[in-house]
Amino acid sequence: MKKIIFVIAFFFFAISHAQEDKTKVYKKRVLETTEVDFLSSYYSQDGENASVTGGIGNEHLTDFASSITISLPLNADDVLTIDAGFSAYTSASSSNGNPFDTTGASGNGYDDDDDDDDDEYDDKRKYNAQDPIIGSPWVASSGASKSDVWSTVTADYSHSSDDRNFNWNSNVSFSAEYDYISFGFGGGVLKQFNEKNTTIGLSGNAFFDTWNPVYPTELKSFKQVNGNLNQGFFTGVTILDQNGNASSGWNPLNNFQLINDKSRNSYSASLSFSQILSKNAQFSLFIDFVKQQGWLGNPLQRVYFRDVSNYFIGNANSINNYTSLGNSDVFQLADDIERLPNSRVKIPFGMRFNYYINEIFVVRTYYRYYSDDWGVQSHTANIEVPIKISDKFTLYPSYRYYTQTAADYFAPYEQHLSTEKYYTSDFDLSQFNSNQFGFGFSYTDIFAKSHVWKLGLKSIDLKYYNYKRNTSFNSSILNVGFKFVMD
Amino acid sequence: MIKNIVVFGVILFFYSSCVAVKEYEKININDPDMVLAQKKADKFKTNFHVYREAASGANGGKSGGGCGCN
Repeated sequence: MKKIIFVIAFFFFAISHAQEDKTKVYKKRVLETTEVDFLSSYYSQDGENASVTGGIGNEHLTDFASSITISLPLNADDVLTIDAGFSAYTSASSSNGNPFDTTGASGNGYDDDDDDDDDEYDDKRKYNAQDPIIGSPWVASSGASKSDVWSTVTADYSHSSDDRNFNWNSNVSFSAEYDYISFGFGGGVLKQFNEKNTTIGLSGNAFFDTWNPVYPTELKSFKQVNGNLNQGFFTGVTILDQNGNASSGWNPLNNFQLINDKSRNSYSASLSFSQILSKNAQFSLFIDFVKQQGWLGNPLQRVYFRDVSNYFIGNANSINNYTSLGNSDVFQLADDIERLPNSRVKIPFGMRFNYYINEIFVVRTYYRYYSDDWGVQSHTANIEVPIKISDKFTLYPSYRYYTQTAADYFAPYEQHLSTEKYYTSDFDLSQFNSNQFGFGFSYTDIFAKSHVWKLGLKSIDLKYYNYKRNTSFNSSILNVGFKFVMD
Repeated sequence: MIKNIVVFGVILFFYSSCVAVKEYEKININDPDMVLAQKKADKFKTNFHVYREAASGANGGKSGGGCGCN
């Protein structure tokens, strides 16, 4: 890491001195006026491989996200950009961090520890024996973890040289969600050569993140009562074995170990190269080097081992149909949470090639090869063909293909062995491929005649994407963006 | 792999010195749809890819960190 920092520092020094220019030149302002971008999206997904419930279960999730980006020209050379936003989701999968919430599946096992945790709902709830038993991986519960808001703010300062052939920027960011806090900073340089036909960029970023871990309810409760299944959450609760008989044999792997390192630090260095090939064609290359350290799994995600006996809470008659979508009233107690190495190195390499066919059609292409030391390799290919149907309106049909191999530590529900060192049943780390079709349109008014207060409307973008894996997973997202310029 | 990328990059770098499109010839290159980056309006779409896929980075967006995702 020291070597990387040294190389970046040297690059900064070399380029900043190489671009000194003694001649005075006319310079256009980097940004003529303040620009404001409003973005919003609505995202929805469905699937049958929820990671919170060990690789089976309802993955339904909806998310509404919105952000505002304000770019302020501080003078002819400098621009300050502030980006603030949030993303609010509701998730069936995450809700099953505590699947026993409204269900009574846990008997009178409501959480009465009056803490401020994932079982907050239970803290306020009185046990009612008449409650319907509905807890299962396929049913959303109403636990606190069913929803969350991710909030973020980023500030970026950039400076351009007088001849506009050199630019540097630095940024700082902060984000927070229910179980995660992140602080990051970074910076980069861009140098243009060859009459602005060639651009080379180098940037680096570091994130210092911290988990506020939320564990599956039964595991956290097991730890709280030191494994005594007649106390706390488990008081009066009947635990069933695979045959539906009452049992006290459930014991998570190694008596369940809490995570000991709550940090997750990420360091990245990026190199880019772009080149104009002709009056109508240009391309760019990117390569990133990313190193992550710390707790790289998610403490809410369960794992079930095939060589460990199974135990349940709920309706004994439903155990044999546990993996069926029809199961609505029995839940399997976790063997452990996912455990992954505390280090990961990612190396993605990407390229773009854009070609201006004529006044109507442009072709935008993108390809990425990705490899990491967890055994994942992937290819991403994307094509978009903007079609200008008038001076103000453009259509955006697009297609994206993605494929990845499985991580070395992935196996589906009940396929891992308890003797393994690392394990996860998160299907985002499984082998799959996906197809994504998109369509959008944009409205552009370069004169920004329409006004809201002192802001002139410059453009509107509306895009819809439909995404399907070759597994059960599918999703869609609707994006809308408004760009304004200050009078 | 890395070696091939570096060699490819060096070849492209030297090739680039042979080609120079003048500023007044860049009207098509400067078209907003020719930008060699993802559009701002696609920011949230890229975020969902980062959450739902093992791969990330090399697209100007997130490459790791900043969220409890991959």
